[in-house]
Amino acid sequence: MRTLRLLAFGWALHVKMLSRSAFNGALGVIWPLFFATTAFFMFRSGGGRDTLVYASLGASVMGIWSATSVAASSALQRERWQGTLELLVGTPVHFAVVLLPITIAMSTIGVYSLAATLLWGRYLFGIHLHFVHPWLFALAVPTAILSIGMLGFLLSVTVVRYRTAWALGNAIEYPVWLVCGFLVPLALLPSWVRPIAWILAPTWGIRGIREAALGGHALADTAICLGIGVGYAAAGVLLAETILRSARERASLSLT
Amino acid sequence: MKSLRLFFVGGLMSYRALFNWLSPWIFVPTFLVAPLFQILLFAYIGRAAGLESDRFYVIGNGLQYVSLPCVFAMGNAITGERWQQTLGAILATPARRLPLFLGRALPVIGNGVLVTAFALAAGSVLLGVHVPASAIPALALVIVVSAFACTGLGLAMGAVGLRVREVAVLSNIVFGVLLVFCGVNVPLSSLPGWMSTTAEGLPLTHGIAAARQVADGAGLRSVAGLLAGEAVVGIAYGVAGYWLLRYMEWQSRRLATLQTA
Amino acid sequence: MGVIEAVDLRRTYRTSTGILRRRRLEVEAVRGITFHVDEGELFGLLGPNGAGKTTTIKMLITLLIPTSGSARVLGHDVVKDAREVRKRIGYVFGGERGLYERLSALDNLRYFAELYSVPPREQKRRIAELVELVGLAGREKERVEGFSRGMKQRLHIARGLLHDPPVIFLDEPTIGLDPVGARELRATIASLAEQGKTVLLTTHYMFEADTLCNRIAVIAKGRIVGEGTPSDLKSFVAEQTVVEVEVFGAGESELERVRRLPGVATVNVDERESAQLVSVSSRAGLELTRDILACFAEVRVGKVATREPTLEDAYVALVSGDSDT
Repeated sequence: MRTLRLLAFGWALHVKMLSRSAFNGALGVIWPLFFATTAFFMFRSGGGRDTLVYASLGASVMGIWSATSVAASSALQRERWQGTLELLVGTPVHFAVVLLPITIAMSTIGVYSLAATLLWGRYLFGIHLHFVHPWLFALAVPTAILSIGMLGFLLSVTVVRYRTAWALGNAIEYPVWLVCGFLVPLALLPSWVRPIAWILAPTWGIRGIREAALGGHALADTAICLGIGVGYAAAGVLLAETILRSARERASLSLT
Repeated sequence: MKSLRLFFVGGLMSYRALFNWLSPWIFVPTFLVAPLFQILLFAYIGRAAGLESDRFYVIGNGLQYVSLPCVFAMGNAITGERWQQTLGAILATPARRLPLFLGRALPVIGNGVLVTAFALAAGSVLLGVHVPASAIPALALVIVVSAFACTGLGLAMGAVGLRVREVAVLSNIVFGVLLVFCGVNVPLSSLPGWMSTTAEGLPLTHGIAAARQVADGAGLRSVAGLLAGEAVVGIAYGVAGYWLLRYMEWQSRRLATLQTA
Repeated sequence: MGVIEAVDLRRTYRTSTGILRRRRLEVEAVRGITFHVDEGELFGLLGPNGAGKTTTIKMLITLLIPTSGSARVLGHDVVKDAREVRKRIGYVFGGERGLYERLSALDNLRYFAELYSVPPREQKRRIAELVELVGLAGREKERVEGFSRGMKQRLHIARGLLHDPPVIFLDEPTIGLDPVGARELRATIASLAEQGKTVLLTTHYMFEADTLCNRIAVIAKGRIVGEGTPSDLKSFVAEQTVVEVEVFGAGESELERVRRLPGVATVNVDERESAQLVSVSSRAGLELTRDILACFAEVRVGKVATREPTLEDAYVALVSGDSDT
């Protein structure tokens, strides 16, 4: 119960903090829009009505991943620079309980981008969405955000020893957009790519969101998305223990 | 002669000083992996929408990525000085301004050419795009001119960056504008009129068009007009940036605003 | 049994430089430190920069694992029972970092109250008390980025006390504060001791240790070179007299001559704006003033005074003593 309260509180506080940054705020909304706009132009001249709707749903999730991949990969570095990493580690709670809400807050900020992209498509490209299962849609979006945040958590502890992790975070932005079928159906990709897509939670998150909007088995895909996300979190928890121990041995928690 | 030395040696030294963080750990993911995936992303969107050939996207995105090192690095080469609080020290020297700033541009252009050449080569191999060997020298020239034009824009951005705090945000937005407007993935003819008109005044628009023609087998002579257009755009931004810098230098001496701690 | 017990603590840092040809460097930051702090004591670790104070404190608060040796806080091992230790200690370091600048002081405190499992019902009262204690009442809803250095430092103290820990570690808490701010902070620290808390304080300000601490360990080059109450430490040099000479432009050769005078224990030079203040300690009863002045025959000499030794002299004697043997 206390852990749950701590997770919720940490999440709310970090969402508040991230919302106050111009960098995360404005650019986080604008950046995915450039890609969405390009894709909308492309699908409008080729493809057709259906592909445009398909693309707009996928594009709206792009910003959630962008917000997470860059920020989460450098999450620990940022805490270290602020001098808060030592204080967080020095608390009696499990470090995973501290870090997990931070990365979920990062993906949550992507909601602004999701809303902006859907509105952008609606008013500039005339993409009208009829939500077949509005309630499932309302469930699928937070699930996707949660799972992407958990992926961010795993990412943040995996790359902790990589000093320039932000560059890595930048570099995995496009590959995930491509491989998880944000804009392009998976069937179009080479067959060896598909297993990679299957173990990535965003793949299932987007499927769930699309099916909730357009009709289909949204609940199953959303459940798989959540399941994979929980798996990431579990792996991250285990990894975090090892990494913290090594950080205390190597004296890499602080800058001084 | 002295100017020439300032141009080469001064430029390279400052580039290395400001970019000592440009290690392989940053260079490979940012300048080699990312452009390749941008090419793949749009080539697959093109396939999904049943649009242009893969070559269209390889060339468009490969050339557009020249703007990342050029706009960012050139902007950084100017504003980075402010971060390290060396700008004041440099402006206090009697060194001539034009070779000083242009010298800064040379390694940036070199870096941009390298990045785009790799993206084009690797993208072509991955997607099985064929570019005739005879087109390569002309293509190389197009890349150099495009890199030059983007660096001109970078100089202007650097000058603006001396006054605006969030330069990184601004550079990202410039990158995005170039992506949407310059015919990278959407032919200018498919864009609304005001967008294609704006594109005429942006770097890369002419360069990308020239590169596509060259890859299709056109000779240098037939793209000379486009190349000249690209160069003129670059010069225009470069000159504007240079004058902006001079103006700010003068302003700062009057108002003490440049050397902000 | 002490509240804090350190036995032969050692800590070595390994660093490597270069990308291709990596050279490994080993730095011994702490070389076998043993001490204990009793309940309710205000214990000072005093030493120059780089002496190993911060490394020692970080081993005690579980952020660093000792290379060898052991330490216990309230009977819990700092390596094996890290969580039990963390529940019972507060940690505050000096400087402006370590706060979420974009959040209000209140949010910073609330967050750490959650992290330290302060029961929700008590949080409000506790935070209000602490905000009052550190003198931030009325400002707690403002964002930390607008705070002065002193305010940030006081917020740190409040954060360290949220869970009402019986043991508090303060790492150079007054560093960089203006004199008034530092004095206020020292008053707060003194009041903690009055409440019966056990406090371990590191500092390189002599007078701070002198006025605040019940007991002091002087640490230099990773070792403890002297330990005791401030008056114990002063008695280390009690048998001495200090001659202070203000000189202008004395060189190394003159100083060397002073050091060679028979009976001279230590010579400390404090560089002032234009002058140097040379403090020469010697055995009491020796009348060295004339000999010392003779050494400075070729430079201009200002004020000359003879005084009783202070804690600072004891400290200088301890730190400059040959602590490697």
